[in-house]
Amino acid sequence: MERQGLSRPLAIALAFMAIIWVSPFAWLFGNAFDNAALGRLAFPSEPGVENFVEAVSGNAGRMFFNSLLIAAGTATLSAVVGICAAYPLSRLRMPGKNALLWTLVLLRMLPAAGVLVPIYFTAQRAGLLNQMGVILTLTVLNLPFTLLLLKNFFDTVPIELEEAAYVDGASLWQIVTHIVLPMSKAGIAVVWFFSFTGAWNEFLLPLIFSRVEAGFPMSVGLYAAFGRQGSIDYGFLTAFSIVYAAPAVAVYFLLRRNMNTGFAGVGVKG
Amino acid sequence: MRHQANPWITSNLWLLSAAMLPAIILIGALLYFTGWAFTFSFTDLGLTGRKAIEWSWVGFDNYERLFTRRGGFVDSFWTTVIFVFFSAIVGQSLLGFLLASALRQTYGTLRTVVEVAIMLGWLLPDIVAAFLWSATTSQTGLINSLFIIPFGLKPINFINDFALPVVTIANIWKGTAWSYLLFVAALDSVPREVIEAAKIDGATRFQRMWMVVLPMIRPHIATNMLFITIWTFTYFPLIFAMTGGGPGKQTETLAVFLYNQAFGRGNLGFGAAISVAMLAIVGVLSLVYLRMLKEPK
Repeated sequence: MERQGLSRPLAIALAFMAIIWVSPFAWLFGNAFDNAALGRLAFPSEPGVENFVEAVSGNAGRMFFNSLLIAAGTATLSAVVGICAAYPLSRLRMPGKNALLWTLVLLRMLPAAGVLVPIYFTAQRAGLLNQMGVILTLTVLNLPFTLLLLKNFFDTVPIELEEAAYVDGASLWQIVTHIVLPMSKAGIAVVWFFSFTGAWNEFLLPLIFSRVEAGFPMSVGLYAAFGRQGSIDYGFLTAFSIVYAAPAVAVYFLLRRNMNTGFAGVGVKG
Repeated sequence: MRHQANPWITSNLWLLSAAMLPAIILIGALLYFTGWAFTFSFTDLGLTGRKAIEWSWVGFDNYERLFTRRGGFVDSFWTTVIFVFFSAIVGQSLLGFLLASALRQTYGTLRTVVEVAIMLGWLLPDIVAAFLWSATTSQTGLINSLFIIPFGLKPINFINDFALPVVTIANIWKGTAWSYLLFVAALDSVPREVIEAAKIDGATRFQRMWMVVLPMIRPHIATNMLFITIWTFTYFPLIFAMTGGGPGKQTETLAVFLYNQAFGRGNLGFGAAISVAMLAIVGVLSLVYLRMLKEPK
């Protein structure tokens, strides 16, 4: 398309929108770096990083590791299980496999709270009311999307390349690890990232699965703290929020290039 | 699509089947849980107390309750429709599209700044967004201190007085990035030659958009609608953490209603019926969108 640049009013409108969009963060940072934060919108009266020290030590620090364990565990398990199943799904001729995948995705649209009750009972019986249970459950809930996305990505890998490798004597393992996986890096990155942020953000499941405070991830910890009546420690909560939000933001910007190519594959193919 | 059987596939069928096994088991678990929810929607199973052990079959009672109770499912359904329409379809989708079509004319700093700004909302964990918006709209928060108090007006407790608009705006703020990214990819997929040709034929800017670009990206639009409608329809943490469904029942969307009934009041059987009804609604919506996707261009 012609890149004639933006007209001036449009540019101003867009800049204004960006300011509105980030303005709540001003409050967040203003309070987080104020040792005597009162939850008002103001420049820090006692600038300092005490709140952050508090937000990464002791109980809060443990919550960070709980969240990290759940998110990285879920993302990796989802990607591995998904890749193992999506490659055969993409290459084998099975009647109605697309219909099957879409049915599964549709099924997954069931509100998580709806399947939570049977999952809770099963986990209780299996002794999985802990992080392992949360990881497994999230993997189960992710799987339909993971399969659909990865299968669509594997479909775009030209079969001629695999043929050529086979003719040259490559084994299935070599074909997959040397051709298919490198060529669908963007797709795998998208899947991993989605599972990671999904699990990192997950609130409802750990709320019900973690019975002791030592097992709380940050989402539940933050909710428990700001839902509590009485005096709210704004300084601590804002710093805790920033620490909680940082990894998901960081992972995105690390994978940004992959993400934007990866998104093209999300659409269209049914 | 694949015409001939590929030898490296056919000679490794067992290995490939074994690789699919974990996924099959996990999918089996998902089907089992769903079937369980469906079955128990016909019982009066409770979370605690006597009904947790000695539950009994109640036939279609739970489903009848969906439509006969006042202030229940039907009201919640309309709240959800309003929330989905304004936050997902009007807010995120339209705003995302407008941003994508405006920003693709430039690669400058402004584009990066806007992209990063809307991505930050999307990347923020739900609970942080809830906390942030509760604080922003509180009596001492950003909006009151910038726009209300300086004019000598009494601070407004937005979250109490305008609960549904506040959660709607919070959700637009949080979710627009997804639609934006999808529409950027969609607009990039439209070949430049097609637009040039339409331009030479004398199509105005509006005509090029409405009659050339939009029909070409219709599959993307349908996909986007499908995803965001369903996500928003079942979206739980933001509203729950901000309002818990209140004040009163003003922001009790179906997902919050389900949680309050199943886990708040412990009516697991009724909760299961609500989730089955939600699945039915989601199913109908998906069929509509999938038709949009399949229709010839």
